[in-house]
Amino acid sequence: MTIKSIIKHMKYIAIKINRWAKYTSLIVTLLGAVSCSGFLEEDVTSKIGSDYLNTPKGLNDGINAAYSTMRAWYGTERGNNLTTFGTDIYTNGADGSWKFMNTYTNQFDSQNGLVRELWDEFYRGINTCNAVIDRAPSVTGLDETVLLQRVAEAKFIRAHHYFILVQLFGPVDLQLSETILPTKEVTRTPVEAVYAAIIKDLEEAIPDLEAKAKSDNYGRATRPAAEHLLGRVYLTKATSEAGDPSDYAKAEPLLQSVIDNYGFELLPDFADVHAFGNEVNNEVIWATQYTYDPLTNMQANTNENPNFNSGNNSHLFFLMEYDVQPGMQRDTENGRPYKRYKPTDYTLNTVFADRTNDSRYKNTFVDHFLSNKPGTYNTTFDKSKETVTFAQGDTTIWLPGYNIPVAERAKYPYQVLTPELYTERVFPPLKKQKDPGRVDRTQFEGGRDYIAMRLADTYLLLAEAQFRQGKLDLATQNINMVRRRAAFPGNEAAMEIAASDLTFEFITEERARELIGEQTRWLDLKRWGILIERVKAYNPQGAPNIQDFHVLRPIPQNQIDRAEGNASAFPQNPGY
Amino acid sequence: MKSTIYTHLRVVLILLLSVTYTWAQETQVNGTIYDETGQPLPGATVLVKGTTTGTTSDLDGKYTISSPPDGVLVFSFIGYTPVEKTVGNQSVLDVNLIPDLADLEEVVVVGYGTAKKSQLTGAISSVGSKEIQELPITDARQALQGRAAGVDVTQPGSKPGAAPQVRIRGRRSFNASNEPLYVIDGIPVVGGINDINPQDITSMEVLKDASATAIYGSRGSNGVVLITTKRGTKGKTVVSFDAYYGINKELGRIDVFNGPEFAEYKRESRRAGEDYPEGPATPEADAAIFEPVELESIALGRSTDYPAGLTRNGSIQSYQVGISGGSDKTTFFVSANYFKDEGVIINQDFTRYTFRANIDHQINDKIKFGTSTLVSYSERNGENFNPIGGALAENPLGVPYDEEGNMIFLPTSDGLRTNPFAEIVPGAQMDLTKNYRIFNSIFAQWDIAPGLSYRLVFGPDFTISRNGRFTGSQTNARRGGDATGSIDEEFRFNYTLENILSYTKTFNEKHNLNITALQSVQQDNLEESQISVLGIPDESQLFHRLGDASQITGANTNLVQWSLLSFMGRVNYDIDNKYLFTATLRADGSSRFGENNRFSYFPSVALGWNIAKENFLANSQSIEQLKLRVSYGSIGNQAIDPYQTQALLGRTTYAYDNTPAFGYRPNTIGNPDLRWETSTTFNVGLDFAILKSRIFGSLEYYITNTSDLLAPQPLPNSIGFGGYITNIGETQNRGVELTLSTLNIEKGDFVWSTDLVFNKNTEEIISLPNGDDISAGRFIGQPLTVFYDLKKIGIWQLDEEDKAKSFGSVPGEIKIEDYNQDGAINSEDRQFLGSAVPDFAMGITNRFSYKGFDFSFFVYGRFGYMIRSQFHTGNNTLAGRYNNLDVNYWTPTNPTNDYPRPNVNQESAKYASSMEYFDGTFIKIRNINFGYNFSPDAAKKIGLTGLRIYSSIQQPFIFANYRSEHKGIDPEVYLDGEDGTGIGGGAVNANVSPAVTSFTFGINAKF
Repeated sequence: MTIKSIIKHMKYIAIKINRWAKYTSLIVTLLGAVSCSGFLEEDVTSKIGSDYLNTPKGLNDGINAAYSTMRAWYGTERGNNLTTFGTDIYTNGADGSWKFMNTYTNQFDSQNGLVRELWDEFYRGINTCNAVIDRAPSVTGLDETVLLQRVAEAKFIRAHHYFILVQLFGPVDLQLSETILPTKEVTRTPVEAVYAAIIKDLEEAIPDLEAKAKSDNYGRATRPAAEHLLGRVYLTKATSEAGDPSDYAKAEPLLQSVIDNYGFELLPDFADVHAFGNEVNNEVIWATQYTYDPLTNMQANTNENPNFNSGNNSHLFFLMEYDVQPGMQRDTENGRPYKRYKPTDYTLNTVFADRTNDSRYKNTFVDHFLSNKPGTYNTTFDKSKETVTFAQGDTTIWLPGYNIPVAERAKYPYQVLTPELYTERVFPPLKKQKDPGRVDRTQFEGGRDYIAMRLADTYLLLAEAQFRQGKLDLATQNINMVRRRAAFPGNEAAMEIAASDLTFEFITEERARELIGEQTRWLDLKRWGILIERVKAYNPQGAPNIQDFHVLRPIPQNQIDRAEGNASAFPQNPGY
Repeated sequence: MKSTIYTHLRVVLILLLSVTYTWAQETQVNGTIYDETGQPLPGATVLVKGTTTGTTSDLDGKYTISSPPDGVLVFSFIGYTPVEKTVGNQSVLDVNLIPDLADLEEVVVVGYGTAKKSQLTGAISSVGSKEIQELPITDARQALQGRAAGVDVTQPGSKPGAAPQVRIRGRRSFNASNEPLYVIDGIPVVGGINDINPQDITSMEVLKDASATAIYGSRGSNGVVLITTKRGTKGKTVVSFDAYYGINKELGRIDVFNGPEFAEYKRESRRAGEDYPEGPATPEADAAIFEPVELESIALGRSTDYPAGLTRNGSIQSYQVGISGGSDKTTFFVSANYFKDEGVIINQDFTRYTFRANIDHQINDKIKFGTSTLVSYSERNGENFNPIGGALAENPLGVPYDEEGNMIFLPTSDGLRTNPFAEIVPGAQMDLTKNYRIFNSIFAQWDIAPGLSYRLVFGPDFTISRNGRFTGSQTNARRGGDATGSIDEEFRFNYTLENILSYTKTFNEKHNLNITALQSVQQDNLEESQISVLGIPDESQLFHRLGDASQITGANTNLVQWSLLSFMGRVNYDIDNKYLFTATLRADGSSRFGENNRFSYFPSVALGWNIAKENFLANSQSIEQLKLRVSYGSIGNQAIDPYQTQALLGRTTYAYDNTPAFGYRPNTIGNPDLRWETSTTFNVGLDFAILKSRIFGSLEYYITNTSDLLAPQPLPNSIGFGGYITNIGETQNRGVELTLSTLNIEKGDFVWSTDLVFNKNTEEIISLPNGDDISAGRFIGQPLTVFYDLKKIGIWQLDEEDKAKSFGSVPGEIKIEDYNQDGAINSEDRQFLGSAVPDFAMGITNRFSYKGFDFSFFVYGRFGYMIRSQFHTGNNTLAGRYNNLDVNYWTPTNPTNDYPRPNVNQESAKYASSMEYFDGTFIKIRNINFGYNFSPDAAKKIGLTGLRIYSSIQQPFIFANYRSEHKGIDPEVYLDGEDGTGIGGGAVNANVSPAVTSFTFGINAKF
């Protein structure tokens, strides 16, 4: 008897037993049912089933969940890295493992965790929006206006996510209905179709959203927010492969409406726009909400990255290493310096060249530090003197923004950090994102709202739409709105430009002056089609490596690996 | 060596022969028969060979017999190897009997009953109390390593209180649990066996094939470990005291750079970044990159050894008092134990107090009842917090204390590197898990009629576990920020209720029948609660007043419930103990599955043939046992967590302004069609005992096919879900196991025996619905988990500059194999690198004894597997900032292919993951044991009835390339990773504690 035939015989017996068991199964299950009825029922008490979304409260909670995915982009390291690194105005500082996102070396590949997290979380948000939109018709007991508004909000969020995705990745998977059954069949929808879906969503959303500057629940999407977004979508689409000559004309009335119809106003002082504690102000069109209560300041945890619950942590990345300098130690006011982003020479010398009339250099960059650790110390970077001595509150570091001869530096009783002494560790830190409201100096999770859309941006976008249509006078007027506000008091007239001064170059610089550090630059450069040339010209770290394909980011490898048909069905962007 | 039947046959034979025997002149012989420990052995048989003349020893082991001078006396006792002695002119003959290791009459525990070894039809490995007790172990599972064939036990590092991972015959399932089922005194355990005191255990049986495990149905697919605790026996009350104490020492040192090496490493990293001139170091160049304290250290040749400051000589100790005995009606075993393992890392220790009472009482001749009760309390420090990582990373050029001896919180200007010694300042960190357990197995048995009995077993099991965590302000985690604290609590109640009916009958003295029927329910109820806070006002409060904190950072509770309803039937039938047959069927219903798939049936059959009992072998002098076993059957696996069939929402947080806006979004795709995973095993085994049982053991071959695998199936995230659990594909495990015991030398009082255990398991994915699945890392023909990544083939050398450049690299960087040869390195170049499944593993124990002395050593090895060392991820960044493992890195003058050039412009080396794969092969000397048994007389003199003292060394050596060449700690890894830690299968935890060697001294005393 061979082993095979033994197996065969035993298998036969086993099957026989099993068959007998199945015939008699009735008895067994009956016994089970009688003796232990309900014993094997699974009651879900600590979890919530999917049907909950069909209820009025569930639908509201669904929208809340969709908003939470905004926190995956605004105010995060990934949102900042993908828009700040590798541009003409910012390069890398000393620290961090993501420098290759600035230097464009081949380490920036499809395994990039930040790109993957963004992809995953945005698509979870999109699926949530899809669920809300699909299920809304069957929800009863909710006021019709509210129901329509919720659906409109879902469309706003869905459009927003697709807009970011299409800019970063090009063709992406366009999912417009809730995923009910598991599937691996995904495709890269052409850019044109993605834009069509975005525009359709926003157009449908606009009438049903609250026509107010601020929602009754501050933080919800409003009609002006959708108009601002759609205006920007058109501007961006115009230069994309889906571009249409009418795009600029379509953008103009939307942006104009935001300015005219809701009572927004530019704050008189540029410094107030990002002043700590002033996150809710008349210039803000829409902001991603963060709080100082850890219980409401989390992001959805994907278990992938423990830092995911990170609050608005933009306060970390733009700071210089002040905390090891003489007379200084780390404190909440000055922030936790990650020294990731260092302004380029172009930013300091060209973009912010005017420091006489324009208050924005002064109000954007930190120019001095006050001692919080008195004592006598050896100097570190400013060797014009051997030692420095500070009392509490004395100036320890001054960043004049221009070079000063050593002999003159020596006269100051503190260290003078001049441009020639800037390194990847010490450089002018950005003020905008500082968050002194954190409970302690180590706290990673910031609590400030992230201002994603504000009126100055609307003016500049409108000016850009008008400039592209040759409406130079109108464009100039709108630019001057922003510039007058940015002036030092009394210098408003000097800030104004004439229509003849308005060039494309000027717009690119004006946007940098106004919006530096606000998660727009990389997307702006891409929109203008000048990313490669600008990086080559102004970002010495990125210049040697950037190539044409870098206008798109790598599709996360696991999206490709998991797709039915892998790379043939869901191809990687070229170059990665 | 031989069954009683065989012995009887022999007696009859002798009787027949003796008829014609002529009687010679007789002499009177007397003496004492002792057992292996030197205790007198009452009831042993003495027979004059070739005659019917015989006697038995009295209560003191003494005998008297008359025999002709040329007569040969045969001394025998059940369970002991018979000894023959020629009388000659001696009138006093003392004999020591030693146990017959291959004792076929030995009764072993099988599921829902017991069986004689000779009657087994399934594949079962046993480990007895001797093996368990000769190791100073925390967890009984550790005793299985290298002792039970087919059982793969791994335990990385040396964290006190850490549980080992056990895999029986490889892994079958993709889903989390390949953990075997543990059954303690008949009760299937949920929630760990770490509370069980190993010294209370009398035996552990590992059920491996389908025939043996099928009675546990859906619970048994990963094998079953039956643990039986000690019970009392009738007779004199015995009080025993067992204790050991040992020193834990770090085995070797973790080799990171010392001061001068670090300085040069930092310079090299700057040379690569063009911040330091090529060529020898100069004071000017040093001044530019080093800070004052570093320069001072360089000048003084000073170096701080931070890791040494966090390690100590720990200790391991156990004290146990046991009392056992009983009357005709009642027997008892009661024990109390204190165990403490103090690790070599200063904050890590584990202390356990256990109390056991096992009582049996006969109410009348029909009814008896009994209980096994365990009460356990343990405290574990440092489970989640390990300060060694910070010490390994700390710049050795810094100084930890100022001149006045005050701690410097930031020894260098690096803001992230706080003083590692701050972590171990009392009160700075607290990570304490307390665990309370009451585990019961209560039974009542009614012997209804001869052969028919009913048994009711009830097993309530309570566990309360609480982890308290406190992190003070002056720690690396907080760096001056407010203190944080948290409490995690678990309350678990699990019960099992079983009704067992069994019937035994022998027909015509030949046909033995045993029928067992079972009905069983089990329910598990787990409640969890958790709170974490920030801003504890007074650090002395630790985590004991979280309500005072300024912020609540998290609060949650959870409830997880499941239940299982089972019916089982088993028939054992044999003819004359020669032809054995077992058939089993179990039906299980699980709450974890959808209504349609709730119940399933798991049948098995097994055949055994005692060849040695056949006539043609019955007279063989060299073959005592030869038994062939064949079994076939299928078992299920409900290896999913509760609630996975359902589409559930996940909670999110948001706020409108400051108004909380919690939300719910789709989180899991339900799969109501999830069904049982089924493993079908064919097993053939051969048990043998030859040459008077000098060589015995068993050989097993098995094939297990598992189908309908429950597995997480990754999905493209653009659909909104990253994956779901489904039934998919098929895996196969096949392998060979050998258990071999040999009695090599038995000369006078000197005995040398060897136990060898060998297993080779091949784990393989047979089919997947869509072929290879890169996203899930599953490849047909490969083990369940593999390493699939870029492959490092060296370092780019100076003469390869142009070629390196074409790949975007420079000399000194890692050279990756361009697997698809397209001239670029990207994810297409990932390839299969290896897997953590060993080619084979083996353990060898050698035992020597001479008079009262005994000596043994145990060697264990795993061969031919790959590990991924996350320990290297953080400690081998080569970024010139933190301290680094002392690896051989590339420089222009040291053109090695080992490790790349340090570079300050990186957080970790480019393609760093490719340097994390290592050959994991190791050989460990697990244990060397040396003991002395005092003779009964000697013991008596100091008022004892028995005394043994011993000394042992645990793990004095680890031979592994990973340690010797790559500065690793321990290549032993969990095959399936660690739950909830992000440590994947076959990965070395970054947080691993140093390997430890222990020197212990112990005593076993009986009163």
